[in-house]
Amino acid sequence: MVARLDAVRVDRHRITILRDLSLAIAVGEVVGVLGANGSGKSTLLEVLATLIRPTSGTVELFGRRLDAAGRRAVRPRIGLLGHTAALYDRLTLAENLRLVARLIGQPAERADAVLAEVGLERAADRLAVACSQGMRRRADLARVLLTRPGLVLLDEVHAGLDPDAVPLVDDVVRTVAGRDGAACVLVSHEPDRLAGLCDRLVRVRSGRVEVEEPT
Amino acid sequence: MSVVPPLTQALVLAGKDLRLERRTGEAFLVVAPFGAVALFMVPLAVGADTPLLATLGPALFWVVVLLFGVLVTVRGSATDGPAQRAVLSLVGVTPRVRLAGRAFGNTVLLLGFQAVIAPVALVLYAPEPAGWVWLLPMVPLVAVGLGTLGALADLVSEGLAGRAVLGPLLVAPITVPLLLGATGVLDAARYGRPAWPWLVLVVTVDLAAALLAAWCARHLEDQS
Amino acid sequence: MSTTDPAAPVRATLRAVFGRGLPAFAALAVAVALTAALASPPDRLQGELVRLMYVHVPAAWTAFLAYGVTLVAGLVWLWRRAAVWDRLAAASAEAGVFFTGLAIAMGAVWGRPTWGVWWTWDARLVTTALLFFVYLGYLALRRAVDDPVTRARRSAVFGVVAFAMVPLVHFSVLWWRTLHQPPSLLRPAAPAIGGGMLTALLLSVLAFTALFVLIVRTRMRLTAANAALDVAELTGAEPVAGDAVTAPRREATR
Repeated sequence: MVARLDAVRVDRHRITILRDLSLAIAVGEVVGVLGANGSGKSTLLEVLATLIRPTSGTVELFGRRLDAAGRRAVRPRIGLLGHTAALYDRLTLAENLRLVARLIGQPAERADAVLAEVGLERAADRLAVACSQGMRRRADLARVLLTRPGLVLLDEVHAGLDPDAVPLVDDVVRTVAGRDGAACVLVSHEPDRLAGLCDRLVRVRSGRVEVEEPT
Repeated sequence: MSVVPPLTQALVLAGKDLRLERRTGEAFLVVAPFGAVALFMVPLAVGADTPLLATLGPALFWVVVLLFGVLVTVRGSATDGPAQRAVLSLVGVTPRVRLAGRAFGNTVLLLGFQAVIAPVALVLYAPEPAGWVWLLPMVPLVAVGLGTLGALADLVSEGLAGRAVLGPLLVAPITVPLLLGATGVLDAARYGRPAWPWLVLVVTVDLAAALLAAWCARHLEDQS
Repeated sequence: MSTTDPAAPVRATLRAVFGRGLPAFAALAVAVALTAALASPPDRLQGELVRLMYVHVPAAWTAFLAYGVTLVAGLVWLWRRAAVWDRLAAASAEAGVFFTGLAIAMGAVWGRPTWGVWWTWDARLVTTALLFFVYLGYLALRRAVDDPVTRARRSAVFGVVAFAMVPLVHFSVLWWRTLHQPPSLLRPAAPAIGGGMLTALLLSVLAFTALFVLIVRTRMRLTAANAALDVAELTGAEPVAGDAVTAPRREATR
């Protein structure tokens, strides 16, 4: 089991976002999470990414409870692509990727290589601020290729991607799911995007996983 | 994934901060000229009394370094947004490493900031040269202390509205020992008293700031 | 008489907020202290002005007590993470800022006729004023954070860091004063304090401490009531955040 959420409740700013949410994600599984705007999909991803500690309930990742030591141990195995690309505007795409590479002890060439993999080698020296939404998204995907996480969390990953880049997402997802002990969670409000890609679709409604739809 | 030593990570982050500063010029092209303007305005308000200005010179230099140096430490270019913070957490950067990286970057920038402000103070105020050798250790020690306290305040006020004003309010009152130490060495030299106790004071402040930062960093991890 | 008293709910609320015993004790302590302060002999040198001491000194004492409580409560919060410690830290800091302000203002009023200046660069004064600024910053920080847990955590950290720097601040200012010309003319009269004055001073300190406890407890109860109100609105079957978003109902979308 890659992740197991049990009766998770999240209150933020005095508002309940998730309530009594339970979800288990098995090894090799690709799970699609559907839900309306504001239903708590992104919050669910942040809980899975250990960035939000639930108000109550338990979260287990890679078989570990998330106490301080557990969080430290599992974090490097998680890759998150949030709503907005996690790039420093005033660094070039290559510098952004190399920063991550150096922080995890990978050579700079690896950073350049993954940029090439997502088709950005010719834009490598462009400042992130000067890149389009879709380019930033691709650069973020390159980061996931670089860090090789065991749990990949993708939030509206198709947003802003051109048709050329959509297979890239499929490719990343399949690569991750095929890896030993890895799994993938995709969040979207468009069921069509997820249908072909996911083993299983779940819907977040009223703060919990309400419907489970096998595909 | 090989494990990167925390110190290396902190230095990588500091390098990132310096690169961002080179691109935005916030410390050197915005805060430094602002500090120079402050040095320029005081004589206009006080009057062109050369001996008085020579006496005030070192004190004003240090006041400007501390008050405007805080602005260097809370500069917007160094801000990590929520997405960047998430990535840093997930690649194994602990809050302590992040704070250390910020403190290292701040220290380098503050050294540069002092190097820009010092000639301005020298030209405008023509202070007495007595005791200037004491400035050699004092300049880096103040940079370290202010850089560390500034990094702390920056993390405490991270993501808050009004952070650019709140940060300085949080830091300025506790930098008083740095101000007294820095001005104290020159006073001591002028009146022929031993200056080293002031140096010890500033070293103590730096150590205390570093220890406090190391202690509290883990409490600043943003988790509800 | 069995007619319902319209003021009864108001009284009940006041009792719930202020309590019964503590306000009575505080009022008694203040009355006794006031009598003692007025009955104590005038100072040989300062005359009636010395009575300002019965406000100034206890206010300063209470302020330091308050900051100490804030520090300890912050540390306990970091350890235990129970909201009550954060409420204590916040209430105590607010009271501390008030009493520091009072002490500084009374000190200035006292200093003007006795020393001829509103302000002097005495180490104790400078440290007290800096504490005032530090805790104004503390309260500003609290106001800037929305999320209660984040607020508690960040203010506890800042409270500890700032307080830990205070001894260094005080020491450096003390040193700075002794290395400059000592303010011999500005020193208050030697603290050879008479028996009547000492009693009055101790009673005033007691009264201020009782007031402080009352203020902090009241403030904590109000904050707790506010939080309880939020929680009461939260638990149960009320909608979660997502339920606030419904399908658009513009004609064009149909």
